[in-house]
Amino acid sequence: MKMIIGGAYQGKIRFACNWLDMDRADMINGSTCDFEEAFSAEVIKSYHRLIARLLAVGVDPVEFTKKLCEQNKNAVIIMDETGCGIVPIEKSDRIRREVTGRCGCIIAGASDTVVRVICGIPTYLKGAPNED
Amino acid sequence: MITLVTGGTKCGKSSYAEKVLEGFEGEKYYVATMNPTGDDAKEIIARHLEMRRDKDFVTVECLRDIGNADVPEGCAVLIECMGNLCANEMFIGPNVHKPAEKIVEGIRRLSERTAELVIVTNEVGCDGISYSADTKAYISQLSEINCKIAEFADNVVECVYGIPVVRKGSSVC
Repeated sequence: MKMIIGGAYQGKIRFACNWLDMDRADMINGSTCDFEEAFSAEVIKSYHRLIARLLAVGVDPVEFTKKLCEQNKNAVIIMDETGCGIVPIEKSDRIRREVTGRCGCIIAGASDTVVRVICGIPTYLKGAPNED
Repeated sequence: MITLVTGGTKCGKSSYAEKVLEGFEGEKYYVATMNPTGDDAKEIIARHLEMRRDKDFVTVECLRDIGNADVPEGCAVLIECMGNLCANEMFIGPNVHKPAEKIVEGIRRLSERTAELVIVTNEVGCDGISYSADTKAYISQLSEINCKIAEFADNVVECVYGIPVVRKGSSVC
């Protein structure tokens, strides 16, 4: 498994396309995809949005993420970092933010490579550029 | 040794901080700074108590005046967390204080009494939202505290989705 993280609009997708030699059209989008697609998709972008959508329909994103890590071991997960701000006033926002953190830890733990992209520049937090 | 552990919400800061002290042979103190009111606080406290079960920490509460925290000479201390301490010192009744200097001095004094000091803090300045003046002041005070503690800390580690990223010194675990 591989993971690409960073703030919004930092160039994660562009980096992923270059790194994996693929087109963005081949990624599934966490904002719109069917939940079940996640278990077989090669690349999922906006996974943090998928987490929000799971919460909205009462599915536990932590259990979903654990299952994803078990069943789709070669997936590439792209998601925003969302926890480095002020604790939101709305309880649902707080829960979403915390659950996103927990799911991120699970995916990072299951990944051989974790890359953080800032200003389009990748930093390898886990693993190295040429590891497969 | 002083270790500052920073990062976003639920990114493994507490687990890392506890790991830092895993091999410590002497007495270990957990200094809790969270004001235990409200459902969220109760949930968080319950979860952290569960995490520390069987880890031999003595828990003491310290909502303010961290320099006077009730811990013995030569012990290891884990403070959790700076975000709460800063809020507690800052918003007292209707008044808004600027506690950065007081807190940093308190940490410095405390560090003179401890064999190991691990401080968990928070990154709060990266959500790009424009807040009210008080909240902006809070972000600024907490960030100032983090920068100043980082100056004299031996190790500064950022936890990113559970991965410790060394910003200063070394990762001890």
